[in-house]
Amino acid sequence: MATVQEKLITPIAGGASEGPRNKVTVVGIGQVGMACAISILLRELPDELALVDVVEDRLKGEMMDLQHGSLFLKTPKIVADTDYTVTAGSRIVIVTAGVRQQEGESRLNLVQRNVNIFKHIIPQIVTHSPNCILVVVSNPVDIMTYVTWKLSGLPKHRVIGSGCNLDSARFRYLMAEKLSVHPTSFHGWILGEHGDSSVPVWSGANVAGVNLQTLNPDIGTDQDKEGWKETHKMVVDSAYEVIKLKGYTNWAIGMSVADLTESLTKNLSRIHPVSTMVKGMYGINEDVYLSLPCVLNNSGVSSVINMTLNAEEVAKLKKSADTLWGIQKDLKDL
Amino acid sequence: MVLIFSRSGRAKVHGLKSTPLNEYVKHILASPYLYRSFTKLTEMATVKEQLIEHVMKDEASVPRSKVTVVGVGAVGMACAISILTKELTDELALVDVIEDKLKGEMMDLQHGGLFLRTPKIVADKDYSCTANSKLVVVTAGARQQEGESRLNLVQRNVNIFKFIIPNIVKYSPNCIILVVSNPVDILTYVAWKLSGFPRNRVIGSGCNLDSARFRYLMGEKLNLHPSSCHGWVIGEHGDSSVPVWSGVNVAGVSLKNLNPDMGTDKDKENWKEVHKQVVESAYEVIKLKGYTSWAIGMSVADLVETILKNLRKVHPVSTMVQGMHGVKDEVFLSVPCVLSSSGLSDVVKMTLKSDEEEQLRKSADTLWGIQKELKL
Repeated sequence: MATVQEKLITPIAGGASEGPRNKVTVVGIGQVGMACAISILLRELPDELALVDVVEDRLKGEMMDLQHGSLFLKTPKIVADTDYTVTAGSRIVIVTAGVRQQEGESRLNLVQRNVNIFKHIIPQIVTHSPNCILVVVSNPVDIMTYVTWKLSGLPKHRVIGSGCNLDSARFRYLMAEKLSVHPTSFHGWILGEHGDSSVPVWSGANVAGVNLQTLNPDIGTDQDKEGWKETHKMVVDSAYEVIKLKGYTNWAIGMSVADLTESLTKNLSRIHPVSTMVKGMYGINEDVYLSLPCVLNNSGVSSVINMTLNAEEVAKLKKSADTLWGIQKDLKDL
Repeated sequence: MVLIFSRSGRAKVHGLKSTPLNEYVKHILASPYLYRSFTKLTEMATVKEQLIEHVMKDEASVPRSKVTVVGVGAVGMACAISILTKELTDELALVDVIEDKLKGEMMDLQHGGLFLRTPKIVADKDYSCTANSKLVVVTAGARQQEGESRLNLVQRNVNIFKFIIPNIVKYSPNCIILVVSNPVDILTYVAWKLSGFPRNRVIGSGCNLDSARFRYLMGEKLNLHPSSCHGWVIGEHGDSSVPVWSGVNVAGVSLKNLNPDMGTDKDKENWKEVHKQVVESAYEVIKLKGYTSWAIGMSVADLVETILKNLRKVHPVSTMVQGMHGVKDEVFLSVPCVLSSSGLSDVVKMTLKSDEEEQLRKSADTLWGIQKELKL
């Protein structure tokens, strides 16, 4: 007796179907990983999504929960396994695995623990997707992106850290609230280290091309009567604040990663402040990753914008680079 | 004459002889208005004032498509993120009782403002922040523990609803209430009773998710996208939901005609297993990850879209079915309903087999058995 499927359907194209063209893998299905996954799925970016983690039950549960929503999505294949073969053929691999900051803990404190986890993860990713672009989210992101670059052996334009993409998004949100406009209409860049020593480039802050520093030359300094510097401080404190209130952050970082993924998969050549290898720029001589405005397309970081920074801003970048290198040089077996 | 301005802005005059005219002059100079005009001439305008000229008369703006989500647990937040990413609303409000978590969730969503098209996200324990909502999604309440049936949650959740529903109604008397909390059919009845709303404005998410899961599993079996696989699961959202096999089709081709044993125990292809998996889905996912969130969140956003955009799509959602399919009591069960900006305006009359109708009546009896004991 023929099955329902056989009676219903006459096959036309013979042979196995082609592999996925826009496969995205998310490594780590904690709050951040799943927020990235749901944002990426809802934006209809991949034709296949793979999830990897070490906790088998939870991994299978998350996969099923996403699959059950397939009617509402345009991603026909959602897979998950603790075995990395499930990630094969990925174009983008987003790494969120690792330990996260506890209340009051700095990102830099997480380093060695996360390096050990990455030694297990990164080589397996590269084995199964040698042509992928790696997007590192785990903290401290600038150091972990360096670690990923070292462990993967991939060219530097294919290893990106989510970096200050979120800081800049928070900055634009907070500044826009003060000016009563939408965040997309306020332009401002936060660069350098994703963390306590990020650098707000006040000289570039503008609305409709009108430079705010020209309107208020004290902007961002301690002399500023309007206290705009406070906005950057709020950005730096954001993560700690949300962690204190709900235990972790996930939605904002998930949305910001989906935004990066969109530029990469759709070959948009949009500029994002993400963490890239900055050796040779701004007097930095070591292999460090810091956020600069990068043009992202389907080859990864295709180019970097040469920011005009003042001496103080360059000095801050150099100082971050030194702090990061101070930690990086002590890392074992990379 | 010397004018000394204090911190408060008032001026004290020194060196002026005391005459009636001079007293009057002192009085004028002491006015705070003088200080303000004086400083305006010498003070720098703020960045905002220099940048932006306000050209209209300020009027309070009322949101046009505001959605409130009650409950910021995993389900509530999955609904919120799906609704935001699908750009369905111009204002989102979150309510819950745990203040810290509520504020943290609100901030986390606000920080993604650059990537969204929802300019206002608010949250408060106080329901005044929910005012003027078009649609209120209720996810609050206790959830199933591993192995626990949805019906077990009833009395706890009724008590929670006694607080929530009147507050919603107070601030959004014209809204549509979409109940998600379990057991959804009973709680939709409870929300309807407590709100005093007409029945088109109280809807239960019901079997929208069950049908979505059914269509996904059907798609996997036939190697097709779920949206091309049509099948309706109706009745109770839970263990006794009813798969209407006679309606299952692809491109209008009835699968039951191709396989008359479909849905029975005799079926060699065991299609009945597909429905069984739908019923067990929630328990399975809860066992594996502790709760379900993403699928229900996406299915709720699907309903929100149809309602806010006035699409008149047909969804299997929970509504008052007294008088249909032989149901005699005031129970809520899922049947295919037309949803629009007025809420639930029409019901599609399914042609059911006698055993399917019998199953619906049995669900209705089970639900009424529980409902009649409730203290509302």
